[in-house]
Amino acid sequence: MTSSMTNVLNRSQKKANRPSDEQLAAFGAELDALRERTLSDLGERDARYIRRIVAAVRYTEVIGRGLLFFGLFPPAWIVGTLLLGISKILDNMELGHNVMHGQYDWMNDPHLNGKTFEWDLVGTGDHWRKTHNYSHHTYTNIKGMDEDIGYGVLRLFPEQRWRPFFLGQPIYAIIFALLFQWGVAIQDLRFGKFFNGKKSGKEMLEEMKPFLKKTRRQLVKDYVIFPLLAGPFFVPVILGNLVANGIRNLWTYTIIFCGHFTADVQLFPKSVLKNETRGHWYFRQIRGSSNLTGSKLLHVMSGNLSHQIEHHLFPDIPAHRYAELSVEVRAICQRYGVHYNRGSLVSQFSQVIWRILRYSLPSRYVPINASA
Amino acid sequence: MMASQTLKRIVAPLVDPAVYDFWAQKISPTLSWDRCLARIESRHIEARDTVSLILKPNRQFQGFQPGQHLNVTVEVNGIRLTRSYSPSDTLRSDGRIRLTVKAIPEGRVSRHLVHHSKVGDVLELGAAFGDMTLPKEAAAWLLVAAGSGITPIMSLLQTLLQKPLEQPVALIYWARTRADLCFSEDLHSLTNRDPLLKIHTVLTREDHRLADELGGRPREALFRNLIPDLERRRVYVCGPDGFVTSVRGLLEPHAALFRAESFSPAPVVTRAGAPVTVTLSKSNVSVQVPSGTPLLKALEDSGLKPAYGCRMGICNTCSCQKQTGSTTDTRNGAVQNEPGPVRLCINSANSDLTLEL
Ligand SMILES: Cc1cc2nc3c(=O)[nH]c(=O)nc-3n(C[C@H](O)[C@H](O)[C@H](O)COP(=O)(O)OP(=O)(O)OC[C@H]3O[C@@H](n4cnc5c(N)ncnc54)[C@H](O)[C@@H]3O)c2cc1C
Ligand code: FES
Repeated sequence: MTSSMTNVLNRSQKKANRPSDEQLAAFGAELDALRERTLSDLGERDARYIRRIVAAVRYTEVIGRGLLFFGLFPPAWIVGTLLLGISKILDNMELGHNVMHGQYDWMNDPHLNGKTFEWDLVGTGDHWRKTHNYSHHTYTNIKGMDEDIGYGVLRLFPEQRWRPFFLGQPIYAIIFALLFQWGVAIQDLRFGKFFNGKKSGKEMLEEMKPFLKKTRRQLVKDYVIFPLLAGPFFVPVILGNLVANGIRNLWTYTIIFCGHFTADVQLFPKSVLKNETRGHWYFRQIRGSSNLTGSKLLHVMSGNLSHQIEHHLFPDIPAHRYAELSVEVRAICQRYGVHYNRGSLVSQFSQVIWRILRYSLPSRYVPINASA
Repeated sequence: MMASQTLKRIVAPLVDPAVYDFWAQKISPTLSWDRCLARIESRHIEARDTVSLILKPNRQFQGFQPGQHLNVTVEVNGIRLTRSYSPSDTLRSDGRIRLTVKAIPEGRVSRHLVHHSKVGDVLELGAAFGDMTLPKEAAAWLLVAAGSGITPIMSLLQTLLQKPLEQPVALIYWARTRADLCFSEDLHSLTNRDPLLKIHTVLTREDHRLADELGGRPREALFRNLIPDLERRRVYVCGPDGFVTSVRGLLEPHAALFRAESFSPAPVVTRAGAPVTVTLSKSNVSVQVPSGTPLLKALEDSGLKPAYGCRMGICNTCSCQKQTGSTTDTRNGAVQNEPGPVRLCINSANSDLTLEL
């Protein structure tokens, strides 16, 4: 064997390396201690931060929508659309996503309550709390349980069986990205079951009611009320809303895919759940997630999901704390030889694209590694 | 007023109260769609460690009756905390409310209000509670207060004195030292106002008492001396728990009517395993569960089916609002006595609880 080959081998072995049970117990205890330290420190600073985000959402929305009324003047349209897109991104990510995790429940503020918060998105908060907070966060990267693995339309891992359907995947991926909010919104409705006859039309309609109600509200707001307010200038307003929603869709798609579908992330079989200890659980969260390095702006605009690893370890800690936590988490991982996956947006997203392209083509089916 | 209410009802489905409040509060910090907010208009020192706050509530305020208390919510270090305070003034024509707060050692809300609150700060007010209110008919009264328990009593007294008295009224007011007496000047001027009014102060820790000041704890002889006609008096008492209990023992058997309110401290914490009552306020159900067991499991064992997901404190599915009572986070043993959201799967009861379920 050449030395460079040994290096590659060592590298991939090192990444898949799982510490012993005793080591994982100590590893878990260190992360628990970090968690407690942070929780006991929550206070004014975090409250001020999230209120600043709320203010940013409100101001960008009002200024963005205001500028769109003058949308016949191209610079106003461009800036207005961008600001509205930014407003929706902040609302969905740094505000909505994080508040709905209960990250700010300790403030006891009814407007920032994880159970009741509603966001500017067609998917309902309640639906999200189920698929995302519950299924995805509890069963992160467990094949057959975490429905975020490919969202039921994409094959991103050799552990998923290839079918000719996946040949069209590069195209589905683009459509899915453009319509990301819709894909996420209908994820839990399981249209598949309806189409293959396992669910009646009536049942389907019943389940769709909250979704339809929320969708109507969103569509009326973006495509009827605000355009009407613009009177004769309704066309630029409609277009601006459409593009702003599109910008938000592409951006959230990019960030979320970078969080779990980069080259080195690992899938797990259902069997890991049997007697999974706190340390194992933490380990699985780290190995199933990947971080983005970048500026403060990137972190805020991604709702700090750029710190996907920290988010999965501590989903209920205010996300703006992840940056400082990540320093300690990395040090802990290093001590226990646990691979900590991070890279720039360009490098991580290229790996996502590579997965989308590579696994659209046939590849040997890899049965999932029961010892992972 | 009526028209604006109707208008409000029509537009309500279109309004997000959070967005409305955000913009409205840029105009005036107490404007709100559906919450009663009040601004601190002025503060003055009332006694040692005690301040009075004059509050101006917004239009959501439902009013109170003298003798009642309000739930007051303030944000302390980013956390909204709620405590009861009794307005210490009669109803004012300008709609202002006076609260009088004594800072207690380690007290989170009282120390904030006394030492750190500023003119212009905004508090939230809840509805008024309490049955220590005045009936329409005239009666002979004995009002007994200890410490900050003077607040509702002061409100009652001033309301009684708005008209010339028809029957005797007495106030016996306990404090540690003269420096702890609230409303000294007000009380002094009231004494001369109506011959049927008698005010007595009792100081328990004052080294040099004046001629008209008494000493010692509540005792039968003291009450008998001051109030020979105890049997015809209606008695209202307010003060710390221990004080109220001892006065109750002395006066309740003899007085024409006895009502008391104690400014009781944190809920009683039971030992692990002892049964506590959990009341689910939305479904109107009460069950007995063992304390110390995660609430999700305890409620399921009682045949209830709260929503859940991960059962390990991650997903927030099981979260619900705790209205009263004390809980422990089973992961780290942290005790939480404040109302607020709790995750049922990782919290156990330490006391009787009310959950919004
Ligand atoms: C009906 C009602 C009316 C009240 N009206 C007034 C009022 O008009 N003015 C006023 O100043 N207070 C009033 N109180 C008391 C007030 O609600 C708070 O309990 C008090 O201000 C302490 O709150 P905190 O947050 O500062 O203390 P916390 O942080 O809740 O408690 C700190 C420590 O003090 C103990 N403690 C809590 N409350 C008291 C107390 N009252 N006395 C002694 N120790 C206590 C706790 O057990 C704890 O150990 C009233 C209470 C009730 C129930
Ligand atoms: S069930 Fe998931 S947090 Fe309690």
